[in-house]
Amino acid sequence: MTMRLANGAGSLIDREKPVAFTFEGQTIEGLEGDTVASALLANDIWTLSRSFKYHRPRGPLTMAGHDANTLVQLPDEPNVLADRLPIASGLTVKGQNYAGSLARDRRSLIGTVGGFLPVGFYYRSFYKPRGAWKVWEPIVRDFAGLGRVNVDSRHGYYDKQYLFADLAVVGGGPAGLSATLEASRAGLEVILIDEMPAIGGALNFARFVNGHADGLADAVGSDPNIQVLSGATCTGWFADNWLAVVRGNRFYKLRAKQVAVATGAIEQPMVFRNNDLPGVVVGSAAQRLIRLYGVKPGTRAVVVAANADGYGVALDLHDAGVDVAALVDLRHDASPCHFSDQVRDAGIRVVAGHAVSEAHGRDRVTGVTVAAIVGEGDCAPSGERIDCDLLCVSVGYAPAAGLICHTGIKLGYDGDTHMFTAGGTLRDGLMASGSVTGAHALEAALAQGRRAGWAAAKALGANPGAEPAVPNDLGNRGVNHPWPIFPHPKGRDFIDFDEDLTVRDIKNAIADGYSEIELVKRFSTVGMGPSQGRHSALNTARLTAKATGRDVAKVGTTTVRPPLLPEKFAALAGRAFTPERLTPMHYRHKDLGATMMVAGSWWRPAFYGDPASREETIREEALAVRNGVGLIDVSTLGGLEVRGPDAAEFLNRVYTFAYTKQPVGRSRYVLMTDRTGAIVDDGVACRLHDNHFYVTATTGGVDAVYRQMLWWNAQWRLDVDVANVTAAYAGINIAGPYARAVLAPLCDLDLGAEAFPYMGVRTGTVAGVPARLLRVGFVGELGYEIHVPSSCGEVVWDALMAAGAEHGIRPFGVEAQRLLRLEKGHIIVGQDSDGLTHPYEAGMAWAIGRKKPFFVGGRSIEIQMKRGLARKLVGFTLVDPNAPIPEECHLVVRGKEIPGRVTSCSYSPTLEKVIGLAYVAPDQAEIGSEFDIKVDGGRLVKAVVVPLPFYDPDNQRQAM
Amino acid sequence: MTAMRKSFVHQPPSVEADATAAARMGLADLSLRPRTGFKGPGTMAWLAGQGLVVGEAANIAYPQSSGLLVAKLAPTEALILGGIDGNEATIDTLDRTWSIDTAAGCYALPRRDTHVWLRVTGSAAPVMFSKICAVDLRAAKFANHTIAQTSVARLNAIVVRDDLGATPAFHLLADSASADYLWRCLIDAMAEFDGAPIDENALHRLL
Repeated sequence: MTMRLANGAGSLIDREKPVAFTFEGQTIEGLEGDTVASALLANDIWTLSRSFKYHRPRGPLTMAGHDANTLVQLPDEPNVLADRLPIASGLTVKGQNYAGSLARDRRSLIGTVGGFLPVGFYYRSFYKPRGAWKVWEPIVRDFAGLGRVNVDSRHGYYDKQYLFADLAVVGGGPAGLSATLEASRAGLEVILIDEMPAIGGALNFARFVNGHADGLADAVGSDPNIQVLSGATCTGWFADNWLAVVRGNRFYKLRAKQVAVATGAIEQPMVFRNNDLPGVVVGSAAQRLIRLYGVKPGTRAVVVAANADGYGVALDLHDAGVDVAALVDLRHDASPCHFSDQVRDAGIRVVAGHAVSEAHGRDRVTGVTVAAIVGEGDCAPSGERIDCDLLCVSVGYAPAAGLICHTGIKLGYDGDTHMFTAGGTLRDGLMASGSVTGAHALEAALAQGRRAGWAAAKALGANPGAEPAVPNDLGNRGVNHPWPIFPHPKGRDFIDFDEDLTVRDIKNAIADGYSEIELVKRFSTVGMGPSQGRHSALNTARLTAKATGRDVAKVGTTTVRPPLLPEKFAALAGRAFTPERLTPMHYRHKDLGATMMVAGSWWRPAFYGDPASREETIREEALAVRNGVGLIDVSTLGGLEVRGPDAAEFLNRVYTFAYTKQPVGRSRYVLMTDRTGAIVDDGVACRLHDNHFYVTATTGGVDAVYRQMLWWNAQWRLDVDVANVTAAYAGINIAGPYARAVLAPLCDLDLGAEAFPYMGVRTGTVAGVPARLLRVGFVGELGYEIHVPSSCGEVVWDALMAAGAEHGIRPFGVEAQRLLRLEKGHIIVGQDSDGLTHPYEAGMAWAIGRKKPFFVGGRSIEIQMKRGLARKLVGFTLVDPNAPIPEECHLVVRGKEIPGRVTSCSYSPTLEKVIGLAYVAPDQAEIGSEFDIKVDGGRLVKAVVVPLPFYDPDNQRQAM
Repeated sequence: MTAMRKSFVHQPPSVEADATAAARMGLADLSLRPRTGFKGPGTMAWLAGQGLVVGEAANIAYPQSSGLLVAKLAPTEALILGGIDGNEATIDTLDRTWSIDTAAGCYALPRRDTHVWLRVTGSAAPVMFSKICAVDLRAAKFANHTIAQTSVARLNAIVVRDDLGATPAFHLLADSASADYLWRCLIDAMAEFDGAPIDENALHRLL
């Protein structure tokens, strides 16, 4: 049966554009502009999902995207609000939280035993005996829940954007629109955020009792100073007016100089038996259906009213062709409102001093019992049964004050108006207007909005003219009924639809001693569902107040924190920005078949070949260096220019070694310790000029080293300049017995051992490219580290590969380099050291300049040495050559003690045995001492301490 | 030497020079063009000695009659960009003239190699930047020749607004090793504005 109104109602839909989608496998015809919920209701389908705990059928409550009753399941996404989600051709939608079918949920039987499942039931019942929760948890989680995550779904595209504004107005209703226009007229740049597809708020659907606001939305839409973000939700206010705004798949980070909150008010449900049946809605939901979507909400309706808005709802239903069977006014002596005469003229029966005590129906309301109110919250035991398929409730509002609460404001309660109030003084740069402040009269809301816009302009130094006047009467009296709660002896009188909590649940929580509102929340979980208490907080506070003998103002509300609406992790993550760095020769490595690895933010060749032959390839690469010549890309090494008259003095203080007497043309090892004396980095310092050092640092450490240098330079105020030039240079290390032979034809320098000795530094050209050449020996062979402008890296790499072809040159990767340096006993900072390792522990006392007065960490090292060594890094081999090879971080054990750990270990193809570095107790560090390593499986492997380096102990090969 | 230079970006423009794209949302790679930099307390004096005219305010770019653009990054630091018509020789002269022995308190920076140089053009450029940069680069808020030293797609970056005629245009310089990453981020961010990589010759048509 179609419920689509035949007239022109439905401002959001396009009747010329039908859209088909499926719901529970059934094809549904809707119109462009429909939400899933409005399209289903247009087809008279009211049950969208099943409730969280009792699996009760649930349908839309607000049609505003404010309640959890409309959560539905999409193939790739659970918990989607059906009254927010636009329909699209081919969309597949299902209900949530049922077993079998949505119409016949087997688990709905749990509702019949609900009386035995009070709040806190599982706290008491499923935790004993010890360990029982592990059994029960998966069962409870399976029964209770929302949608299901599809772990196979593809990642969607989400991103973020920064926005800037003089004024951000949140809420596009009458107050927000007038604030926006007023500020714009004063010259402010304004961003208006509204959650609905079209701005206007209640102007688009409600029947106002006075005033008019024609043309406001059009004026906003055509103003070039105003950017409108409709269909967007501001989910949080943060310090300095930073607003989080989600629209579609984009997360906006909005920084505004001023913020005007005009978020309106949320219509509240009434509490009575079966108040959750599909077909029971707040009055504004019916109005939204009629005016926004052209949907007739029912055929025969009962309206419960406690304010003029309820009378307006009855008239709207009547105008839409709905048979309004009765307007039940909770008030005994309500004074006539502007709509009273129209209601009477429409022939609508008004029943004053009565309430709906119970709704009837199984999957949809089929009738209600209307009974006389005989006391606060008490209905007469019997009443009149009225058949209907729609029950609209208009009994009051709660301010949508979440954003205001994010600023630290706590909601108060006005006993005269029976409303929560966003009381207190708002912080500078924040204003509130409209019904969020209690201004329910249209003229008052408009005036408040104008004043907010004016105040923002004035605060920002504009000249907005005279301050707009605001009427004294905000229209907030006679809007909220003081006690729209009618508990029923048979229960099912829901306070919180999200969590299936009834009046009895709240009372029981209080009776158990959880009498403070925060405790009531935590014990009962009221307000902790997806709608975050929007429809439960006010009535819970009322119940708590009554049960504890306090007034509602004293009871207060729970703390409101961002986000206001659930935010998807995808929205928070946005488009991932993970910078990655490529060396100048990156694509050469790819062409050579390198298996790449991540090193910090860099990609580096681990080895050149298939991962399946990893170990073999690494050994071949290492042997190529030992016996022939190899080429490795070391561009990722940090490069720092330290220049100025005090450059040597600066290095002398920053590093452990001595540099003031270092000759030009020589390099020297650098070891950096922090103020605790722990090793943090190493490299070499190349003196290119009296006032110029080119200092290398580790790949992962250079940024921290650079920051430290800048910091110390600012402290010491030496005449020195430090520049990070890491990316400026391509670094290529050519190493092996044939290195000189390969390089010589390409280089304009004398590469002979005398002219260019080990640890020498020269500048010249390689393949015609200006180059800095360093004779260093990290891998322990004759080698030259060539640093050229990075834009020329590929050229030099190609030239070296070509020149080395006749010598069988082979590129080698990080893994072979690690093996080669291990054979030489060189440490890798961060692998063979940790955050506490000081130089003496690592056997690097030789790198400390003892005669200089100061270096960073020097004093700490002295103190540590007076305490004595606690461990020492040693080289080891295995006693049993056939024993399992220890791995990094395998423990060195001695009885029940753990004196140290393995830091590096590998089989050396050159030495044909397993070699490694490990921390051991000082008394285990003597050459020849044996110690145990606990390897995988718990087996103990015996190792023996040997001298370092393992390979070429006289260092003759690197000095060739 | 010049002939050996290669772009840091390994994903060259895929479309022909297109002034229309450049006016709407274009991205050009100028990494092969000349640029240099100097820093240190003696920098401004040394640059003045080379005939460059640089104002007092930092974070402002100062166009030179030679076509160079001197971006004053700090009171003691300048980034010098070649003009749209080249200026290779002028930049080379500056680099060759500089010496640690004669330029007291002024130290050369190898900007040609430390930084990839991209040109982001078009009316949509400021909005595109708002997806990857927290600085408000809209025309009314970020005047021509203003500099932002900020984060773009989580990279340290230098952004200099330097319009081409009436078309908003920005120099974007960032870590050269991250050039491919940055290029991909920009192409992605530009997509919703129908942005396209453009050949640098398209820039001339905007003047």
